Amino acid sequence: MGRGPANGRSVTLLPSRRVLDRLPAPTDALLMPERTLAALSVGEAATVREVGGDGTLAVRLLEMGFVPGTSVKLVKLAPLGDPMQFEVRGYHLSLRRAEAARIRVL
Amino acid sequence: MSREVKPIRVALAGNPNVGKTSLFNELTGSRHRVGNYAGVTVERREGDLADGLAASAKVTLLDLPGTYSLSPTSEDEALAYRVLTGEGEPAPDAVLLVVDATNLARNLYLALQLLELGRPLVVALNMVDDARALGLPSDAASLADALGVSVVATVARTGEGVSQLAAALAQAESAEHEPRLAAPGPDHVALCETLACLGGDSARARWLLTAGVAGTAAQFGATATELERLAAVDDAKARRACQELVATRYAEIEQMLVRLGSRRSDAGAPAMTRSQQIDRVLTHRALGLVIFAAVMSVVFVSIFTWAQPLMDAIEAGFGALSSSIGDALGPGMLTDLVTQGVIAGAGNVVVFVPQIALLFLFLGLLEDSGYMARAAFLMDRIMARLGLHGRAFIPLLSGYACAIPAILGTRTISSFKDRLVTILMIPYMSCSARLPIYSLVIGALFVTADEGASGDLERGGILLGMYALSTASALFVGWLYKRTILTSPTPPLVLELPPYRLPRVRNTLLIVYDRTADFVRNAGTVIVMLTIVLWGLLSFPRDQTGAGGEGPTRIAESWGGRAARTLEPALEPIGQDWRMGVGIIGSFAAREVLVGTLGLVYGMEADDDDPVELRRAIREDRDSATGKPRYTRLSGLALMVFFVYACQCMSTLSVVRRETRSWRWPAFMFVSMTALAYLAALVVYQGGRLLGYA
Ligand SMILES: Nc1nc2c(ncn2[C@@H]2O[C@H](COP(=O)(O)OP(=O)(O)O)[C@@H](O)[C@H]2O)c(=O)[nH]1
Repeated sequence: MGRGPANGRSVTLLPSRRVLDRLPAPTDALLMPERTLAALSVGEAATVREVGGDGTLAVRLLEMGFVPGTSVKLVKLAPLGDPMQFEVRGYHLSLRRAEAARIRVL
Repeated sequence: MSREVKPIRVALAGNPNVGKTSLFNELTGSRHRVGNYAGVTVERREGDLADGLAASAKVTLLDLPGTYSLSPTSEDEALAYRVLTGEGEPAPDAVLLVVDATNLARNLYLALQLLELGRPLVVALNMVDDARALGLPSDAASLADALGVSVVATVARTGEGVSQLAAALAQAESAEHEPRLAAPGPDHVALCETLACLGGDSARARWLLTAGVAGTAAQFGATATELERLAAVDDAKARRACQELVATRYAEIEQMLVRLGSRRSDAGAPAMTRSQQIDRVLTHRALGLVIFAAVMSVVFVSIFTWAQPLMDAIEAGFGALSSSIGDALGPGMLTDLVTQGVIAGAGNVVVFVPQIALLFLFLGLLEDSGYMARAAFLMDRIMARLGLHGRAFIPLLSGYACAIPAILGTRTISSFKDRLVTILMIPYMSCSARLPIYSLVIGALFVTADEGASGDLERGGILLGMYALSTASALFVGWLYKRTILTSPTPPLVLELPPYRLPRVRNTLLIVYDRTADFVRNAGTVIVMLTIVLWGLLSFPRDQTGAGGEGPTRIAESWGGRAARTLEPALEPIGQDWRMGVGIIGSFAAREVLVGTLGLVYGMEADDDDPVELRRAIREDRDSATGKPRYTRLSGLALMVFFVYACQCMSTLSVVRRETRSWRWPAFMFVSMTALAYLAALVVYQGGRLLGYA
């Protein structure tokens, strides 16, 4: 119900960016296509592979429960398309698409 | 042991939204002292165990900021860690951790970190009412078994379990235990090796590891030796070790949960089921925004309509007080000092109380109900464009009502730089005190003989234009500062959307009281002082001849009046004369004072609400030399634009000083805004003249 366009947007917009991001590191990408939480569609669940990068954000995301093996579900998108609302470890957390893209999934 | 003399000091820790504040209030009987942690603007609340509860010992509770972890990823977490480990002040004798029984999977993370520290620990298993209703494990005894510390089941809303908790706290000191470090798994090689490099596994080594990966070790007080050790560890390896460390803790939690009897069916988020249904409406793609707009409108309309009668009553009260004291003392300088300086100053403070109290009442209710997080969720997209966090939206919007409570409301923004950007933006939002000025000018200069609907439309349009200008300027200034003097990356949004809960009004009222009292105490003194200074400027030197004493001449001859007349060459280019100059100086006490000051300049008792006479006087005032009207529509427009930008409010400046703990930022704010105001008015007036609107 009215969710179609939002899904469409997330799917059509992101692959091209991901392709660009992937260019410098082709070996890794060829073995395992890099998928992040930012690419989930509403209602879809995925399992965390790793949190990329360092800095306070990486530590915080880990500590909020995004450790490898955790199952995460995208619950909904905010009305303006961003941020995203995830279900993880029994609670709901909202992340911007940019932050969600730090979390790689299987 | 001298128990009577030395109370047991207990630090209260917990995730945000777990009922920590409610429990603190239950335990202390709502009596507490408010202060600040040394060096930071984080509020610090301390309270003694309520008399009815204090069993065998005296217990003092210290409320820590709500945090998800003790790793230094933010000021709050670093602070909590510092207090718990006794840096800067003696370590507390014990820790009381509040956990939310409906979400142990995440809440126990902090519990494990506290066990690592090895401080005596008591756990309050809160919200057991909700957990029971949801069929989640809520047995305190099994959790006590799993954690190895005493656990008391509580319902902070009703007070259930609070007396048992107090009894446990009285014995907390004896609950000494060895630091318990969740053991790394066999495949966590990077973690074991890295911890060995960092001086062996300990709570401190683990803290250092996360600080190293977060890049905050130096900022949050690692020693030189520690920094050296960190530098020796390979970055990629440290990252892997950090990931393994957090995974180790979560693995331990999962084992505990199994022992507690949580079932497979508890997967998902049982505590969120009802909230998710509510969110279907409240964060719905279209309806969510409409409802948000409606909620905000209700809040602001109520602030306007409910606060106004109170503010009028306060003003009338102080007016009556000052005239009866004036009568009692008889005319004279002392009387003027008391009535126009001290009493007027106190009035300038108290008059803000209704707006501050109402705004904090609403903010508190929205926060406790869980809606505030949704508001940030809804508005984050827009705020992120500026480089700010969704949480900055509501304080900013509050600026339309009054900058003072809005600036106090920025305390929910965790990064200091972003908080400062928001504080600097707020005074650009046209607050309610500018409205009387706009309506005076519009009412005086934008009326035509052939009155018609088009006149109303024009006046409404001009007013709307002023608000649009102010909003656009606030947004622009924020964008600019974020990229120039206060550069910092857009703060990440990692925002919990807690379950909706019915707020308790009593808790909110306590916060309202704290904030209001704090304003009166701290900003109030500065406001009273400045009012007295301003009174001095507009009343001295006194007329020596003794003949005058009339309002108009006295003001013209005062320092303020002389300053305005000296400044007249600078005022002319923006279409004003010394009279308006005096008004501008006088309005520094509060913008609405412009009306009264101009009244004095024109020698009339202006009725603030409907200054008909004053409007006519301004409209019909003519230059004695040329016979042309002194004020035109263009000069009126320039004056309004001046007030859109000018930070003509000493209360705002004193609150900014209080919140930033220095005069630097209020000084910057005043100078930059005044310069901008002058420039903008200049552009309007001179531009208008060039275009032929004389
Ligand atoms: N059902 C239930 N609600 C609670 C309980 N304790 C607190 N609350 C509610 O949870 C919300 C958050 O509480 P608060 O004390 O502000 O939490 P804090 O953010 O941890 O300080 C408020 O609406 C409280 O009324 C409890 O034990 N049971």
